[in-house]
Amino acid sequence: MIEFGIELVPRDLYWKTTFYAIQAEKLGFDYLWITDHFNNRNVYVSLAIISAYTEKIKFGPGVTNPYLVHPVVTAQAIATLNEIAPGRVVCGIGVGDKTTLQMVNIEQVKPLATIRESVHIIREVSSGKTLEFQGEIFKIRGGRLNFKVTNPIPIFIGAQGPKMLALAAEVGDGVLINASHPKDVESAMKFIKEGAEIAGKKLEELNIAAYTSFSIASDYDAAFKAVVPVIAFIVAGCPETILERHGVPIELANKIRDAIVRGKFKDAFSNINRSMVEAFSVCGTPDMCIEKIDRLVKAGVNQIVAGSPIGPNMRKSINMIATEIFPHFKGEE
Amino acid sequence: MSFEKIARNIHASLWNEASEKLVDIVLNSQNASKMPSDLAKTILYYWQRNQLATEGGLQHLLEASMSLEPEKTVNLMEELGLPQVVAMLKETVKY
Repeated sequence: MIEFGIELVPRDLYWKTTFYAIQAEKLGFDYLWITDHFNNRNVYVSLAIISAYTEKIKFGPGVTNPYLVHPVVTAQAIATLNEIAPGRVVCGIGVGDKTTLQMVNIEQVKPLATIRESVHIIREVSSGKTLEFQGEIFKIRGGRLNFKVTNPIPIFIGAQGPKMLALAAEVGDGVLINASHPKDVESAMKFIKEGAEIAGKKLEELNIAAYTSFSIASDYDAAFKAVVPVIAFIVAGCPETILERHGVPIELANKIRDAIVRGKFKDAFSNINRSMVEAFSVCGTPDMCIEKIDRLVKAGVNQIVAGSPIGPNMRKSINMIATEIFPHFKGEE
Repeated sequence: MSFEKIARNIHASLWNEASEKLVDIVLNSQNASKMPSDLAKTILYYWQRNQLATEGGLQHLLEASMSLEPEKTVNLMEELGLPQVVAMLKETVKY
């Protein structure tokens, strides 16, 4: 059974984010991921209010990062949320958004060690254990929570590069593959299998999600227009190997990045074409989205996360995913 | 004029359509940041319980919609063929 998640960005007013979260739950989404950027509204405050207005949907940060938030604080936050919504909390963690971290002069040093240690700390501390830990990055001397956690909280790791994908499969309960194209998922699956083997896990034990940029509308042009700004930022920050895989000229990606850095967003957006949108998003009419999701599922994922922008009209697009796409993958429920 | 009284003048056959369209106005308003937090929480409460398309739900949606987009709200009530509601809404603000 394929599960569906939705990403909401708390750049929106809290009540709008909560409104869409309630809508997603009513319509049968399985997961709700709230992004964590210091310059948006706080992820845990957003999740706390959402938890009060929902009853079934699983939710968590999608994703937090250990550079800005120490793993013991993440453990504390998710354990507190778990008290409000037992059994519904998940924790997404990754290396974070480079641009946002640079604003506060934080470098993503030793990402693999940082994530490996963070997952260990979060898992142990949120399980109520007292932790003595001498890591390469973090040192914990008898850290523990002063309250009990009744159930384990699954940890998902956001990953894109080969080593992080393998690590995610090795130490995570789930992998959030930062990809919207079957080619990227197929490539990722090789490393996920390697990581799972190291840990002696079966692939079926892992929740493997394609964390996509998603834009759905009844009219392709409307969906395209909505996703263009997101694609511009993706292309601007994309590793060269992935650009090459999708035939995006490096010079063009550099041009888009330069335009964004100079604040010339119109210039940046005008360089986004249909093949870039195809490479880096699930975008189009419901039928087009179904076809793309089908290929992502065949490539090996068991969760599809509909990430920003979702569509030109958030409410209508969420409805469209549920009414037009779910039946194809979840059957009539 | 209270919004409770105004909502009573919307016939039940129009509750679904009115609530859907009022939600659209509220969510897509450029003035969304002006929404009073208490009112927002009340609307979320009704939304969670599937009660926006009720007299009570419409009362709060009308209040929100009028505080963010009075002109669009009045136009919507005109489109729905509710002249009495239009007149009452106009009384709530110096429109």
